[in-house]
Amino acid sequence: MIRPALILARKDLTLLCLRGNGLSQALLLGLLLIFIFSLARGLAELFSAQTAATVFWVSTLFCQVLIFNALYALEEDNGQRQVLLLIPAPVQSIWLGKALAGLALLLAAQAVFVPAVLIFLDQGLEGRTEWAPGLLILADLGLAAAGSLLGAIAQGRAAKESLLSLILFPLLLPLLLAAIRLGAGILSEPPAQEDLASWFRILIGFDCLFAAAGLVLFPFIYNAQE
Amino acid sequence: MPRISPLALMALLGGLLMAASHPVILLYAPLEEQMGIIQKIFYLHLPLAWWGLFSFFLVFIASLLFLIRRDYFWDTLAEAGAEAGLVLAALTLVTGMIWARVSWNTWWTWDPRLSTTLILSFIYAGYMLTRGLDFSRERRALISAALGIVAFLDVPLVFFSAKLWPQTMHPQVVTGPKAGGLEPEMKLTLFFCLAAFGVFWAALLILRCRLGLAANRLEGLRARLALKENTPKEQDHG
Repeated sequence: MIRPALILARKDLTLLCLRGNGLSQALLLGLLLIFIFSLARGLAELFSAQTAATVFWVSTLFCQVLIFNALYALEEDNGQRQVLLLIPAPVQSIWLGKALAGLALLLAAQAVFVPAVLIFLDQGLEGRTEWAPGLLILADLGLAAAGSLLGAIAQGRAAKESLLSLILFPLLLPLLLAAIRLGAGILSEPPAQEDLASWFRILIGFDCLFAAAGLVLFPFIYNAQE
Repeated sequence: MPRISPLALMALLGGLLMAASHPVILLYAPLEEQMGIIQKIFYLHLPLAWWGLFSFFLVFIASLLFLIRRDYFWDTLAEAGAEAGLVLAALTLVTGMIWARVSWNTWWTWDPRLSTTLILSFIYAGYMLTRGLDFSRERRALISAALGIVAFLDVPLVFFSAKLWPQTMHPQVVTGPKAGGLEPEMKLTLFFCLAAFGVFWAALLILRCRLGLAANRLEGLRARLALKENTPKEQDHG
């Protein structure tokens, strides 16, 4: 299952990076959102770390929707879903492959969003910076697992980006809340009484839930006849 | 004598019980000392919330059973449950907001129960949107079942994360009168309202389910008719 998934992820990444359109659209939208949110700040005001973390994760979410739509559109737009299903491997390897490609693209996009938030929203890394890699990877794992599981639903529909957002965002709320609190704790020293370890537990719980759901439920979503 | 269907009787009973619950709430249940008359909305709010949540649980069970048995009855039941749950959750939010406006002096605040109910409404609204897409019958049922399972499994995470989120408003009001210590008369009123809403909810669910089954049957008949009409033409071409 792992090898076909890796091959699929490599194929998707090559196609998206060569054509450039999918990723650059997602990147530009995220950057634009960060810039537009920076307008909410008054002249002599400062953004709180929590506001900055929220802007960062909202941009990431929109970026995620575009990324997974682009990933599934590669086959769906050409009516090639059946071809993917013919791969001599479990159907779950499609889910894993798309999730891995999505994870790589999300991390690449965040490599641009982090400096953008620091610059446009005037933030410093004054909190628990050592948590940043853990937070990014754990949160992105959940985003990739959920995005890959549900990304195929909206394909071929009118307004598929907004449709996917409406299905995904409410489900992602626990992950978003955890990522915002932890993100705020990285940007500025978190309050001593707050139990940030519990937020990490929520993130891990979310990752496990959607990984399990992907493994068990993805065949039902992707395999059925049109 | 015309035969009265059990469902009509059930709906009638539910309506009568709900009508009867109002005098019970207003005249029988004692007035709460601190909050006064506004507390009485609680007798509507709690049954709405409980039956709403139960509907979502029903969606989960029906979705699971559909994936195991592949019987479209479970798919129809899940759809009926989601619709009923969405209506009840929306009414829960409205009654809760009216209470909060008087009690907390705000329409909305971050409270685990409030936020969870709102997020649940969004999740199941997304579920209903998916059901409305023009998939084939099989694919729609499978996708909805998968979504119905994921949605319900997500609920505990939503609740715990909403609970962990820093809260600013008086949480002791929530845990005060609702956490227990209800007068026996209050408890009795509450159970009466729960039962009245339960009968009404069950009638609504069965009615919606029958409507769904009839729609399924109609779709099947139409497909068969179309097949019948097309077959001779194809033979002519051959």
